[in-house]
Amino acid sequence: MTSDPPAVMLEAVSKWYGEVIGINDVSLAIDGGVTGVLGPNGAGKSTLFKLLLGRLRPSQGAVRLFGTDPWDSTSPFRRVGYVSETEPLYEWMTALDFLTTMARLHGMTREEAKNRAEHVLDFVGLSEVRHKEVGKYSKGMRQRVKIAHALVHDPDLIILDEPLHGCDPLARTSIMSVIRELGNRGKTVIVSSHILEEIERITEQIVILHNGRLLALGNLHAIRGLLDKHPHRIMLETESPRKLAKELISEDPIYGVRFPEEGCLEIQTGDLSAAHAILPSAIVNSGIKVTSVENPDDNLDSLLGYLVGG
Amino acid sequence: MKDELDISGGTTRMESAFGSGDGDEEAIASVAQKAEVKGSIYEQTYRPWRGSLGPRWVRNYAIFRHHVYGLFTSKGHRYYHPMVRLTILIVFLFSISPVAMLFLASLGGQGGFGEVLSRMWGINRYNLWGQVLGFFPRNLCMWPLLTALVVGGMISDDRRNGTSAIYFSRPVNRTDYTAMKYLSSAVVLGFVIVFSYIVYYTSAIVLNGEGWAFLIDTFPIFMGGLLAGILLVITYTSIGLALSSISQSRFFAAVAFLAVIYGTKMVAFLIESTFDSSILYVLSPYDGLANIGQWLVGIESNYDLPLSFSVVSILLINFLSLILLTSRVSSLEVTRE
Amino acid sequence: MDVQGRQLSETVWTKLDRKAGAVVELTIRQLRHKISTWVVLSLGAVLMIMLLAFYIDAVRDGFEPVDNDGDSVDEDRDGYPLGQERKYGTSDWDGEQFPGSGTYIYEGEIDWNDENREISGNRTWEGMAYLESTWIDFDYKGGQWDYIIDWDDVTVCPDTRGVVFEDWMPDYSTACQLENGTYVTNGKFTAEGNLSVPMNYFLSWGYITGIFEVPKDPKEMYIDEDDIDWDGSGGSQGIDDDGDCLRIDWFTQNDVNGDLMWWQEPHNPDSNGNGIPCDVIWVIDPETGEVISINADSSVDEDPVDENYVGEAGHRTFVIATGKIAFVLLLGLFLPLFLSLGLVRDETERGTLHYLLSKPIHRGEFILYRVLGYLVVVSIFVLFLSLFMALITSVIGPGDSLVRIGDFPVWLGIAFTTILVLAAYGSLFNTIGLLLPKYGVYLCIVIGVWEFAMGFTTLISPSSTVASLSVSHWGLQLIDSIVLASWPDTIQFSQMSYAFSLDTGLEWIWSPPVHTLDTNNPYMGIITSVVVLLSTSAAMIGIGSAVFSKREIM
Repeated sequence: MTSDPPAVMLEAVSKWYGEVIGINDVSLAIDGGVTGVLGPNGAGKSTLFKLLLGRLRPSQGAVRLFGTDPWDSTSPFRRVGYVSETEPLYEWMTALDFLTTMARLHGMTREEAKNRAEHVLDFVGLSEVRHKEVGKYSKGMRQRVKIAHALVHDPDLIILDEPLHGCDPLARTSIMSVIRELGNRGKTVIVSSHILEEIERITEQIVILHNGRLLALGNLHAIRGLLDKHPHRIMLETESPRKLAKELISEDPIYGVRFPEEGCLEIQTGDLSAAHAILPSAIVNSGIKVTSVENPDDNLDSLLGYLVGG
Repeated sequence: MKDELDISGGTTRMESAFGSGDGDEEAIASVAQKAEVKGSIYEQTYRPWRGSLGPRWVRNYAIFRHHVYGLFTSKGHRYYHPMVRLTILIVFLFSISPVAMLFLASLGGQGGFGEVLSRMWGINRYNLWGQVLGFFPRNLCMWPLLTALVVGGMISDDRRNGTSAIYFSRPVNRTDYTAMKYLSSAVVLGFVIVFSYIVYYTSAIVLNGEGWAFLIDTFPIFMGGLLAGILLVITYTSIGLALSSISQSRFFAAVAFLAVIYGTKMVAFLIESTFDSSILYVLSPYDGLANIGQWLVGIESNYDLPLSFSVVSILLINFLSLILLTSRVSSLEVTRE
Repeated sequence: MDVQGRQLSETVWTKLDRKAGAVVELTIRQLRHKISTWVVLSLGAVLMIMLLAFYIDAVRDGFEPVDNDGDSVDEDRDGYPLGQERKYGTSDWDGEQFPGSGTYIYEGEIDWNDENREISGNRTWEGMAYLESTWIDFDYKGGQWDYIIDWDDVTVCPDTRGVVFEDWMPDYSTACQLENGTYVTNGKFTAEGNLSVPMNYFLSWGYITGIFEVPKDPKEMYIDEDDIDWDGSGGSQGIDDDGDCLRIDWFTQNDVNGDLMWWQEPHNPDSNGNGIPCDVIWVIDPETGEVISINADSSVDEDPVDENYVGEAGHRTFVIATGKIAFVLLLGLFLPLFLSLGLVRDETERGTLHYLLSKPIHRGEFILYRVLGYLVVVSIFVLFLSLFMALITSVIGPGDSLVRIGDFPVWLGIAFTTILVLAAYGSLFNTIGLLLPKYGVYLCIVIGVWEFAMGFTTLISPSSTVASLSVSHWGLQLIDSIVLASWPDTIQFSQMSYAFSLDTGLEWIWSPPVHTLDTNNPYMGIITSVVVLLSTSAAMIGIGSAVFSKREIM
């Protein structure tokens, strides 16, 4: 057996719609494990997936799915499962019916397809309601049906576009565990989201897209570590910000302060963890009442802000 | 926020008709914030709007105008698909094409070519009848197509998109809504079918420089044709709107309308030619109208079916369509279906 | 073993089959779940049942003897049928006139401005005059025209209206009596006496002749009285059984100038111009033995025994008309309009398309399977309907055998044609929906109208060139060809209908196929039509697939 080509490979891919750029010169390869694709709305996540699924043709560069161009050939799709972000399903079908039909579209016999469908429904925890029409399902159940549909042919690569979008916390947890489980089974899973915390709970391996550009790629912690060298901000709410500032500025990791508004203190630091380590004792020592401590940079927006603007 | 819509600048037509813009400026939602920072309850007091409503006809006229002006400009009015507008234009141009012929004839002068033209396209019973009720090409191709395209989406679009809420959340009752939809469809159809007929008659008289005697001779025939045309517009609108009210896509309504007009005509034709029985013409709206129209214009009927059958059938078709329409509209749920 | 661990015995083809089966099945189930499908299909079934009802009604009325030449009517209700009145040269428009009713012969008149305005005698008079009578024929009925004075209604002339013939005159065909016993007349009457005609009035007179008793023929004598006399060979044949072409022993009436009276048609016993009066020319194709042309002198074999011809021809007319109008034009056009446009388009609109496109199925194949799925549904429906019609009409239809086996190829041919037409339209509309996602529906409606108009044109004029730019035209042509291939003698029945004015409708609903590449061979017609229809479908699916494969789907 020769070494397989990576599940997903993009070489200098650009895609633009008229004047608008969807994906700008992205090169990446993904193979094995769960990868989170992060980016705000309009970053190019869906464009990336559509390129992978052969729905769009790259304006430049080459897209390879298991070494094959998905625009030209549908053969790699037998190893790909895709969960779209769109809602609709065939409302009139039962879950079992739907999955059986989808499995048959992969060339399975009726029997095979039905067995696989039962199996997958069991995996996503829907086997009890498999004879109910999909139209009667709750949002979370529908999402799980869609995931089941992507798994029914036992694919090697599973692409999930915003699978947690609009789900209640319970559904989120169960879907997250399903995705983690898939990763544990050695599949290549690509999950997109615009919420960092969601991805954090699923995987460490991330791709960050912004405005069609590839901003970062790799382990989330490693990226964060890299980012720590950039200045970070901590917001404190206090009665006497200027007094507190005087106390804190002497501490080592903190190199700057600002007073953005009344009763607010913003401290700037080059090492976030170090700053957090000394903050509690410093505040207690100063004896100044602090009503809240916020870390405004701990979200995707600020992460992106740093990545883009430095 | 920069995304906020600028709603203060200018009043939309709907608003000026329904008066919903007035009074809102003064109605302040008083918001009282309690002392605590974490969690807050907003006590809200709304002052009802006590302005005076525009008269009913103004509101209804706004609906009517919304649909009819949409033919010319989509801005602020009902959106008609460019293809629909194009079709209406082509059909209209075609239906006034005899005017062009008469104009040519009037250039041709006495004798020769001009006379041939004016004899072919001039006013007589058959031409007046043919202008509104002739089967080919008007009733075979043009009028059904026109009706299907114009009426198809009138109500089905509202059902599909839930836009009926725009009407029913305002002081418009369902009768007004139905009546205005009906009136505006009928006016659009009438513009092409009846108006072109009037233009044809008028221009024939003007271009040929006919005198009073001719006018007196032909006016009753003209009135007969006019009545037939109006009846046609009414009947087609009734059927079309009824079909539009039972379907969720304009395409389905349009094709269903064609199926009704063509299907009944062809089946009646089949039965007549095979079994020598003209009774099925009572099912066919076109043939009913043609039979009545032939009587109104005063040309010899080519139907064996008694006139009274056709009259009753046309009345029944209209009646049943209107019942279907009103019952569907009155049960229309204000939601996307 | 491949990656999936399936056996090698599964070839690419078996998998392709399964995928095709899955798409087709999905399509069928989707159609089944739409209300509109059921509405449309049941309307189609209702249409067929209605046609059958009419057919059954017609059969039950029977192929009763029909008066094909219309000479059994008695329009003027004088008891003498038209055929008999013709024979005696009397008019069937005037009840006062019938065989043996006599003829009014004109003798003279007093003009508006003649000098002498007095006349006396025993004559038949007509006009306005003062009559001093010695005798009046109160029962007088004869003459050519109404205008006869009814002597039972004669009243006293009213003096309130002023001077008669100056201030007023009696009403049309009445008379009144003056105080002195003189009659004032305005009409026709027979009387003896003195008549004086006022100035500016007119009176003519004459006599009635030729009154004799003619027994009234029963109507039935004039029904089926002139059967088609044909021994199956070509050439001059036909016997004028009822003698209305030869007109031996016929009475004819002439007017004053010696011309035929206005109601009598000038008669030419040799209208087909072969020199033999009152015959029928049969032209037979030497190769096929089928009648290809019939040219009859007028009034020969014009009222055949209906069971033999009209029954069969009427049955065929029904089958062909149903096939052409109900199946091809109505079902063939409207089923696809309702069912096929949304095959791929609806999926795009509803957003479920990606389920199907993220599968290892080529998009071109996908289109083909979708159309196939639709075609399976409508084909089963059409096949079922046509077999249903075939069963019932072939059992109750005319003929000696219990079941008309010969009808089945035609009904199956109709189903086959309809399926081809459904395929062509289905792929056409589907492709348009793909090509023009925004404008497609409007274009489809316009095409629907065009196809219908062209189908109608083809019905009326099969050789129309413009109409051949439509699918419906080729469908109708295919039916014409199939009919000729399965019932070769249809051409003969059509010729008979035309030549002997049989009112079966066969001659307008059916005509020999046009597109036979000048061979007049029905099989050639079948081939050309099938090729055109199939290649339309194939081309449309090809275009749709090609466009769809290269379409970026957002």
